[in-house]
Amino acid sequence: MASADFEEKREIAMSDSASAMRRLIAYARPHLKEFLVVVALVIVYILTQVIQPWLVKIVIDKDLIVKHPVLQPIIAIGFAYLAINIVGLFANFMQNRRLQWIGQRIVRNIRNDLFQHIESLSMRFFDTHETGRLITNVSSDTNVVSMFFTNFLLSVIQDGLSIVMVMGAMLLLDWKLALMSFVVIPVIVLISVLFRNKLRESYRFTRSQFSRLIGYTAENLGGMRITQIFHQEAKQFDQHTELNQRYTKGNISEYQWSVLFNRTFDTLGNLSVALMVWLGGMAVVHRSIEIGVLYAFTSYIRQFFNPINSLTQQWNTLQSSMISAERIGGVLLTKNEIPDPVEPVVLHRRVADGQFDVEGRVRFDHVTFGYSPEKMVLQEIDFTVEPQSFVGFVGETGAGKSTLMGLLTRFYDVNQGSISIDGIDIRRFSQQDLHRLIAIVQQEVNLFSGTVADNLRLFRSEISDRAVQQAAEIAGADEFIRALPGGYQSWLTAKGANLSLGQRQLLAFARALTLNPRILILDEATASLDSHTEMILQQGLTRIAEGRTTLVIAHRLSTIRQADMIYVMDHGRIVERGNHRDLVAQQGYYAELVRKSSPTTVEDAE
Amino acid sequence: MNPKEIMRSFFLHRKWSYLIAIVSIAVAEFFQVQIPHVLGRFINQLKAGHATEHVVLKFALELVIIAACYVVAFGFGQLRVGRLGRTLEFELRQTLFAHWETLSSRYFQQHSVGDLLNHTLNDVNVVRQAMSQGMNQVTQALFLFIATLYMTIHTINLGLTLVSLIPILLIPLVIVVVGPQVRTRSRRVQEALSDMSERAEESFQAMQLIKATSNESVELGRFRLLVDEIVSRQMHLVQLNTLFQAALPLLSGISFVVGLVYGGDLVIHNQISLGSFVAFTAYLSMLVQPLLQFGFVINMFQNASASMLRIEVLLAVEPDITDPEHPVEKAWEGEIQIRHLTFQYPGSNVKALDDVSITVPKGTTLGIVGRTGAGKTTLLNLILRDYDPPLNTVLFDKTDIREMRLSDLRELIAYVPQDGFLFSTTIGHNIAFSQPVVEPQAVEQAASQSRILETIQSMPEGIDTQIGERGIMLSGGQRQRTAIARALIKSEAKVLILDDSLSAVDTNTETEILRVLRQVRGQKTTIIVAHRLSALRDADWIIVLDKGSVVESGVHQDLLRQNGIYANLFRIQTGGEPAHG
Repeated sequence: MASADFEEKREIAMSDSASAMRRLIAYARPHLKEFLVVVALVIVYILTQVIQPWLVKIVIDKDLIVKHPVLQPIIAIGFAYLAINIVGLFANFMQNRRLQWIGQRIVRNIRNDLFQHIESLSMRFFDTHETGRLITNVSSDTNVVSMFFTNFLLSVIQDGLSIVMVMGAMLLLDWKLALMSFVVIPVIVLISVLFRNKLRESYRFTRSQFSRLIGYTAENLGGMRITQIFHQEAKQFDQHTELNQRYTKGNISEYQWSVLFNRTFDTLGNLSVALMVWLGGMAVVHRSIEIGVLYAFTSYIRQFFNPINSLTQQWNTLQSSMISAERIGGVLLTKNEIPDPVEPVVLHRRVADGQFDVEGRVRFDHVTFGYSPEKMVLQEIDFTVEPQSFVGFVGETGAGKSTLMGLLTRFYDVNQGSISIDGIDIRRFSQQDLHRLIAIVQQEVNLFSGTVADNLRLFRSEISDRAVQQAAEIAGADEFIRALPGGYQSWLTAKGANLSLGQRQLLAFARALTLNPRILILDEATASLDSHTEMILQQGLTRIAEGRTTLVIAHRLSTIRQADMIYVMDHGRIVERGNHRDLVAQQGYYAELVRKSSPTTVEDAE
Repeated sequence: MNPKEIMRSFFLHRKWSYLIAIVSIAVAEFFQVQIPHVLGRFINQLKAGHATEHVVLKFALELVIIAACYVVAFGFGQLRVGRLGRTLEFELRQTLFAHWETLSSRYFQQHSVGDLLNHTLNDVNVVRQAMSQGMNQVTQALFLFIATLYMTIHTINLGLTLVSLIPILLIPLVIVVVGPQVRTRSRRVQEALSDMSERAEESFQAMQLIKATSNESVELGRFRLLVDEIVSRQMHLVQLNTLFQAALPLLSGISFVVGLVYGGDLVIHNQISLGSFVAFTAYLSMLVQPLLQFGFVINMFQNASASMLRIEVLLAVEPDITDPEHPVEKAWEGEIQIRHLTFQYPGSNVKALDDVSITVPKGTTLGIVGRTGAGKTTLLNLILRDYDPPLNTVLFDKTDIREMRLSDLRELIAYVPQDGFLFSTTIGHNIAFSQPVVEPQAVEQAASQSRILETIQSMPEGIDTQIGERGIMLSGGQRQRTAIARALIKSEAKVLILDDSLSAVDTNTETEILRVLRQVRGQKTTIIVAHRLSALRDADWIIVLDKGSVVESGVHQDLLRQNGIYANLFRIQTGGEPAHG
């Protein structure tokens, strides 16, 4: 019962990966003609390989064993041998290059499509998928899939054909002897398959032990300071020893299995030569074949081993590329949850400055939202932000402030209610236009590997250096950028290790200004800074907010003290609203937040 | 510890093992070269027409016996050498890890974890490969080559051997010249691949930003450039590789043709028998194999010696923080005194600390405030002897900490780091990190003090719950509270140091943890670094650091009255107007 269940599940899984594989094979279809050329070249190569022992056989039987041998035909055959060899190698050389070229282009297309597709998916997808996983999809899974085209297909064609052709040559030479010698084929297959499983198992075991050992080492190198400060060097070393021992043991056992396999294969090869000597020798004694044929048979029988072994290896390639294909297919099948409208609202640009002709009135109309349907994070949120005003949102972590901003930028769509800008539902804009209207500055500043200027303009060629610099000046970042060794052309990396937190944050402000939005969102943009740096930023803030609708989520209450309006949030609802003075006077939740963040002892007041 | 010495002593200890292995491989090769000889004799018998069924069977059996002897001897030798190589690998890893444990923070700041890991990932493996696979191949190739040459010269013909050998002698040369270039090109492919992965990572991590700015198409353009780069580098590698793969068989093909024609000529003129001719064609392919191996082994040993050199450099680093020769022994109480401490980080020309003096009497609490880069963490690092302070500037119970045994000092201090570093094991093991075994009771007590017990109890496996790499399963605040529990479980410690360790916990939890800390007051000297002034409300004394100097000090009220940095901070954080600016 249980096993039937298992079988069924397996079948479903197989059909999944089959459909995923079909999807990826579509990438190969445009290269079909090139594939056929490759197959033709493979056939030429194998023919030249199979012909070689035959030539030696001719030399032996026609030129050496005869009564009065002469050298002339031997020289001719020698040249023929060389010519055939060169033709074969050239065919193989061409085949290899062409196949690699096909494979590389396939993997390039898969990579580009996959990357493009991932970038097009909604934020909800990124909430549930680890970045590391996605990177593996793009870099290594695509590589494994390309091995299906370059290794698996090649091996099936090349090894399959060469087995068939060697069998054919043997049958042509002497069909009785050939049939008898085919006995070794099932033995080779059986041994390969049996060992292959064992080898794979021990390889996997060793790999997993190795990655545990490396993981442990990496972690301990990162946390060496803690180990030393807590004086636990001996304890950590003992654990390392244990992991190292386990890995070494697995490693040795894996090695033993592979030695056992290789030597068994060797021996099988030698035994089949002995078998040939016996069977063929008998045939020669009974005058049913000539000596040259016996020679050719002893050469041919060894030619079974490599292709059979390599074919059984390819089973692994097939399996792992199926798994990778499934993973890639899974990502490609994911649909974007936030589609653009069929006919988006057309936004006009002002003649004067080329900006969108939008005032920037933001309205949340009874909005209810949850990341999952069971749990609503926002309930009945309702407010209007007037154009060019400055409003603040406060509340404890998890109150729903950042979620509000995620809805306004359409990272997510509301469950109930609606959000509008200048009275137009944001779902009616194209996302491209919506995102040109709004800019958001977050606590975490993402940098890209590139120059400072490119980081500010986000690599958009249509934004001039002049515009970038102006934005940096307004944000107060110009001064420190000029002080960098290369100024605006200084090279930054994603980790941005060469910049302080404050500098990175200034860059984020400058970037938002470069994009020149009508609506600006600051989402806890200053939370990770110390109070002094924050103060400097605060001065720039007023300039930045000028002429735009500005929404600020504040970690420190001081940031939004001057706001035109403050919304106090708790458990997904707006519980209080008003300016600082009014709210303090209300003696409610806001007033308590103010009191709690004070350095004087809370309990003293109790 | 010099790795060459490690290897020398490894070899000396196991010289008999190695000798046995080498001898048995040599014996194996002796058997292997008999096979063509037997075949040749067999052909001769057949040609002469002397062969009977009995003779045929005898030859077949002879081949079976030779095959058996060969496989036993070779397998034995190969296993031996491989096992020894892996034992050497084990010892190298142990040595590296033990060495790293002696090095100080300065070292780990100068070297990235990735760089160091490369040593255990690649260098150790390369050395292992040379010592097992390389040793096997070189032994096998050497004896096979000698034995085959002996057989062809002795049983067949000297001239034929020498003439046919010429083309294949080029094989090792080609490998040694082209091999390193193949490696360089494939490294360039790997670099392009990792560039692409990095770009994908960079992009996926900035997804919100990219979405919020609709910048997807620009990103795709940037990504495509790198993908194209991979393709072009890969093809560059393929070009060389395919050429390489064609050149080697071509050389052995030429050898074979020379042998075929010249050998045929010798048979015609009755200088060698047909059997010898057949045997010779088999011997030629036996000569190709060792020559291939010589080439590859030379490359392998070159790599290994480069890796060995890197490991040598690594192990040559001397630990810079060490125990004094005559450590002071006494019953420690926990008073900390800093006297005119001026400190510069090695290689920096800025004073991280400038003439700092302060005394923290036993059992009292010191608060430290200051902006990022003011020197707060530096001061703590010197107390922990993460870096060595100048002589007689940091004292523990009036004794220079450099006169103390390092382990004594660190047993006395319970420390909560800024980043809340945790290990990827269970939460129980993390809290009981300083303890020899995990005592559930002690863990629970510490966990309850740092307000993490409830979280632990709600976890599926309680204190045995795995918390993932660097504690990824926990939130920032939970990590900090776990790190605090890890410090509090050291009940015997005399000093408690918190380096901005409450920044990620919310205000309520902060209040509760501070209440617990107040209970251990009097027993432990406590130093708290904080950005949020609310974390310092229990401090007996507060200092304000700015650019490495103590610019203000006193209790809360004094500091407010001084109307300086502290007062300004206070106003910012309580939402008041900044005093200036």
